[in-house]
Amino acid sequence: MSEAVSRRVSRGGTRWLVPLAWSLVLLSACVGMPWLEGLFRLVEPDSRSVIYARADFLTLLGRHLLVVAVAALAAVIIGVGAAVAVTRCAGRDFLPLVAQLASIGQTFPPVAVLALAVPVLGFGTLPIIVALLLYGLLPIVRNTLAGLEGVDPGVREAARGMGMTGGQLLRQVELPLAAPVILAGIRTSVTINIATAAIGATVGASNLGDPIISGIVNGNTAYVLQGALLIGLLALTVDSVFARLQPAAA
Amino acid sequence: MIELIGVSKRFGETAAVDDISLRVERGELCVLVGTSGCGKSTTLRMINRLIEHSDGEIHIDGQQIRDFREETLRRRMGYAIQSTGLFPHWTVARNIGLVPRLLKWPPARIRERVEELMAMLGLSMDEFAGKYPRQLSGGQAQRVGVARALAADPDILLMDEPFGALDPITRETLQQELRELQARLQKTIVFVTHDMDEALRLADRLVVMDGGRIRQQGHPLELLREPADAFVESLLGGEDRGLKEAALLTVGERMMPLSPRLLPRERISRHATLREALSMMLWRHAERLAVVDDEDMPVGELSLRQLVGAKHHE
Repeated sequence: MSEAVSRRVSRGGTRWLVPLAWSLVLLSACVGMPWLEGLFRLVEPDSRSVIYARADFLTLLGRHLLVVAVAALAAVIIGVGAAVAVTRCAGRDFLPLVAQLASIGQTFPPVAVLALAVPVLGFGTLPIIVALLLYGLLPIVRNTLAGLEGVDPGVREAARGMGMTGGQLLRQVELPLAAPVILAGIRTSVTINIATAAIGATVGASNLGDPIISGIVNGNTAYVLQGALLIGLLALTVDSVFARLQPAAA
Repeated sequence: MIELIGVSKRFGETAAVDDISLRVERGELCVLVGTSGCGKSTTLRMINRLIEHSDGEIHIDGQQIRDFREETLRRRMGYAIQSTGLFPHWTVARNIGLVPRLLKWPPARIRERVEELMAMLGLSMDEFAGKYPRQLSGGQAQRVGVARALAADPDILLMDEPFGALDPITRETLQQELRELQARLQKTIVFVTHDMDEALRLADRLVVMDGGRIRQQGHPLELLREPADAFVESLLGGEDRGLKEAALLTVGERMMPLSPRLLPRERISRHATLREALSMMLWRHAERLAVVDDEDMPVGELSLRQLVGAKHHE
């Protein structure tokens, strides 16, 4: 057993190398963007400024992350919670309904959600969080359902037959066994939403979408490229973190 | 002691189990046998309330099972099933310690108990304690399943075709081990199977079920000698019945004291079954066998005549 522990520890050092490398690239891109002025000048030779300067890239990154994180957290709580509820005996009747609602959430375009949410919630961060939450719900609900349904019925029967309560069964058996599949759903949801969050800039939620929107409005391709580059790097970084969190296929 | 009084289970209009009464004494191994869909598994699962009975009463040591909380009731009974239902994300040791942990035993006592059980079931602690179920063979996994069922030392053990998915050799080994365990532990066991040979080998009380009803129950020899109807007779193996009966009797029961005649060369243990003795006679073309004890010392002899008919001569 001590052998396994030491192996895990020694692997722990290298496990996080890839995410660490991506976040370093991301951070240096945020800080070092001005040094790439020459490069962007090639794209936009005629513009007065080629580096987006209305806000600090690091601040935009932080806000972007915050919006995605809050939306993801809410989506996980609601999505996993709903999927767990409808796989219990009492809630089984609602399973098709919840699965459908989650699908509708994803087919509904986030832009439309924004358009509908702004009159109610006002400009700013709140509408984009709602839009991301709805958009990100489906992969989480679907994967949680698949993960829970995928638990061997024999395991469930033995657990109940041994005298586990419903809560013990859920916490000690079903959720741990479904965890890899649930985590994969969260990963998909978060990665999609990192890209989708950019449209928040249209309703005044300042984030990495700002340079893109501003670039489109002012016809400055360099701004668009900078926003896109940082969002892409952020997505890769977060995705590599999830790749580490997911246990090696057992 | 388990007692079922007029118990039925209906799913909608159909009765899966129809008014059965059954009494399993303390220390008795009761085998429910029948074709698939005869209600034997349903009956078993009503005892630990995985299925609630619709009618009648089920008592454990004189107390109605509905008086217990479901979980309390189940933690008092071991439960082993064909698919083992071991938790794939837990090690063997942790799987075995499940019920003691649910009962909040102190960790040291759990560890001790797990060690004891693994030794009892021939699983070496060093080799298996840290393994995961997917690393086990079918027979090993089923041993772990039985160990888990025995973990909290319950008086009652419910087993639903536990050896059904194993190859014949492993199955026979485990049946033998279960018999030995039972001889030592004297649990009250309800065992479900559709394999009549397994049923005959294990049962103190054999219960033949069909269509949700009990067709006949009693000691295996009683059923073999006097089957209640054609169904029981055919289930018990029809023309093979003589051999099945022979498999339940030991050489020791039929042998004669040593005679002054020359001792035959072919030897057989006094614990062997008459079926094995007959097979040896056929194989070796011998009409007489020397019977030996555990130390290989001759204690008697068995002739073909005694083997086939001693019952009637005496």
